[in-house]
Amino acid sequence: MEENVTATQEFAAEAVTEAVVPEKKKRKPINQQKLQDNIWGWVFCLPLIFGTVLFVYVALVMALLLSFTNYNIFSGGVWEFLGRMFSGDQSVFDMTMVSDRLQQGATYDPFYWYKYAFTEKVWNGPGDYCINNGIYVNAMGYTMFNTVFYLIGIPIGMVLSVFFAVCMSRDIKGGSVFRVLYYLPCVASTVAIIYTFKLMFGKTGVFNTLLGTDVPWIIDESYASWPAGNLFWSQGLLSKTMIVIMSVWKGLGGTIILYVAGLSGVNNATKEAAQIDGANGWTIFWKVTMPDLYPVIFYNVVTSVIGGMQIYAEPELFFTSSTQVNLYTSGYVSLIWFYGINDPRGAYASLGAAYGMILAVIIFVLTLFQFWLDSRKKD
Amino acid sequence: MENVINENNVPAQEEVHYSTFRHALGAVLAFFGFSSKTHRASKKRAKLVGDIVTYIILLFGAFIMVYPFWWMIAGSFTNSSMGAVGPFEGWAWWPTTSTFNTTTLYEIGGFYNYFELFRNGFTSSEFAPGYSYWRAVLNNLIYSIVPVVVGVVTSTMAAFSFAKINWIGRNKVFLFLLAAIMVPGPSIMTAQFVLYDSLGMLNNAAVLIVPGLFGSIMTAFFIRQFLYGLPTSIIEAAKIDGAGYPRIFFGFIMPLALPAIMAQGLLSFMGCWNNYMGSFIFINQQSEWINLPHAMYVMNKVYEGRRDMGPVIAASVMCVLPVIILFACFQKMIIGSLMLTGSKE
Repeated sequence: MEENVTATQEFAAEAVTEAVVPEKKKRKPINQQKLQDNIWGWVFCLPLIFGTVLFVYVALVMALLLSFTNYNIFSGGVWEFLGRMFSGDQSVFDMTMVSDRLQQGATYDPFYWYKYAFTEKVWNGPGDYCINNGIYVNAMGYTMFNTVFYLIGIPIGMVLSVFFAVCMSRDIKGGSVFRVLYYLPCVASTVAIIYTFKLMFGKTGVFNTLLGTDVPWIIDESYASWPAGNLFWSQGLLSKTMIVIMSVWKGLGGTIILYVAGLSGVNNATKEAAQIDGANGWTIFWKVTMPDLYPVIFYNVVTSVIGGMQIYAEPELFFTSSTQVNLYTSGYVSLIWFYGINDPRGAYASLGAAYGMILAVIIFVLTLFQFWLDSRKKD
Repeated sequence: MENVINENNVPAQEEVHYSTFRHALGAVLAFFGFSSKTHRASKKRAKLVGDIVTYIILLFGAFIMVYPFWWMIAGSFTNSSMGAVGPFEGWAWWPTTSTFNTTTLYEIGGFYNYFELFRNGFTSSEFAPGYSYWRAVLNNLIYSIVPVVVGVVTSTMAAFSFAKINWIGRNKVFLFLLAAIMVPGPSIMTAQFVLYDSLGMLNNAAVLIVPGLFGSIMTAFFIRQFLYGLPTSIIEAAKIDGAGYPRIFFGFIMPLALPAIMAQGLLSFMGCWNNYMGSFIFINQQSEWINLPHAMYVMNKVYEGRRDMGPVIAASVMCVLPVIILFACFQKMIIGSLMLTGSKE
């Protein structure tokens, strides 16, 4: 009995201590766990946050601030310059140095570069100013036209890649081999591909040889005698078409893979039900497959438009131009690079930043517009 | 043929209305897998014909996709040392003036363009003194290994923190980082140029290495998607056993997420290997730190002046080859990762 009693007492005591201790322990460890969570959560994120803030957000704020000033490469340190701006020094807005670029002289105008971007006229024509077959044009308008022209590749690439993706997602052997082959151009270096295509598009190059045509894809030496306006519409459009062909070829594989993945998620039961109801393949594709594929298509279009607005290397490498922006083919980004970083007359980082801000706004509005279209479709 | 033309269920009354020609047409259509009013094609035949058509379409597409690569290889054996682009024109499969055919110029033989590239390709007054092809390859390796390896680890760390650790303000920080994707790279290009200049990173290796060390948001985003698939119970078990978060991360998460990490790492390796714009904008052409695509751009200018494009195409082959080989080795992993992205969106 005694043993029993002691046992029960011990048990009770143990129970008491257990009841007490866990309550103590329970409160403390949870707090500690939360502390650990918070500390380590921040620590693990810190590098990425630091990198993003420094190289994206700080740069973005700097670009926005600089676009209102007259900062250029020779203005000294950028931090000291921004400090002057915040201490109320009006000289950072002094545009007298560059007012010769615009007809009306401007001083102390924060929006000088934005006005400049929309109203300036640059010489567009072969050769020098003294040869009288060029015109003065707005560089932003011309390059924006080129950039929008390159966007033609997006619908073409979309139709082709949906077509090939549907073919690949049939139940055939070797489908994965085709996926790999179609993806090859995506991993290849743009520079290498461009130098190859540049030779392939020659006057009697492969394209003209295989097709039996004689299309002058690339501007040749004789262009110096052409009037600039005509050159933009005849030669410029041909050259731009060539770049569209190349970028469709290069981008096809990536979208095909996304569509194949999207197609594998299409509901098979719905398809079979439609088949039993007597729908043919065409109807099934439009009424069952496409609605299921729609989110992938939307994602693809949004990302390709954002990427397409930033086209730079392709036209720039196809048609080397060192002294000024090649208005026949260059994309909008060339302006940012040329006027902001590389202008031999003196590169104004401020002008490049202003062009960049305009581009950011355009891309943002385009993306919003697409999301608006998407939301309208759902109603 | 009897199996193919399966004319059951055709009512006898209606048969009268069809002409002989219509009957024959129906038979032919049925042979190719199309059902019509007179003949019904068998499903097997329809599938077979569909497969054959699909193969023809896919093979045609694959030919278009691969042909420029073949042309590139063939072009690198073109003897263009006589000048102009003439040697590159008028042929489609193999150059008419191949380096294998000419014996007069070189003791080296068919690989003349490659030898020219390795010896003299990247040495002219346009380049920094002492720059060579091998220096360009070394630079490219540094630029595409160091930032990628470190950056993938930091991205995975952030992804782990977002996917598996509960901390205050996590979602807000994630949205804050995700919003940075919306900022177009070119629009902050000049500000970055000025920023790097003030940090003393311009015109040396730092500009292509340091920003990559902090990881990329997209990589973190995709690895986060992958980590959501891992069971949280592993982490709970490790916590109960007394492991801290660093131990959990390096001991469990890294090995478990290795496929996703490898795929993202390989993709960013390829991106860095082909990164022409970064080097072109932030590194001076006369610097010895320019990378391979940038050096190819300079080389193209020099050799276009000499009207000798063979070595440039050889350089293109040598630039594309490593990436293609890498992709061929890991294609299953890379394509699988890309497909995962597609099905997630």
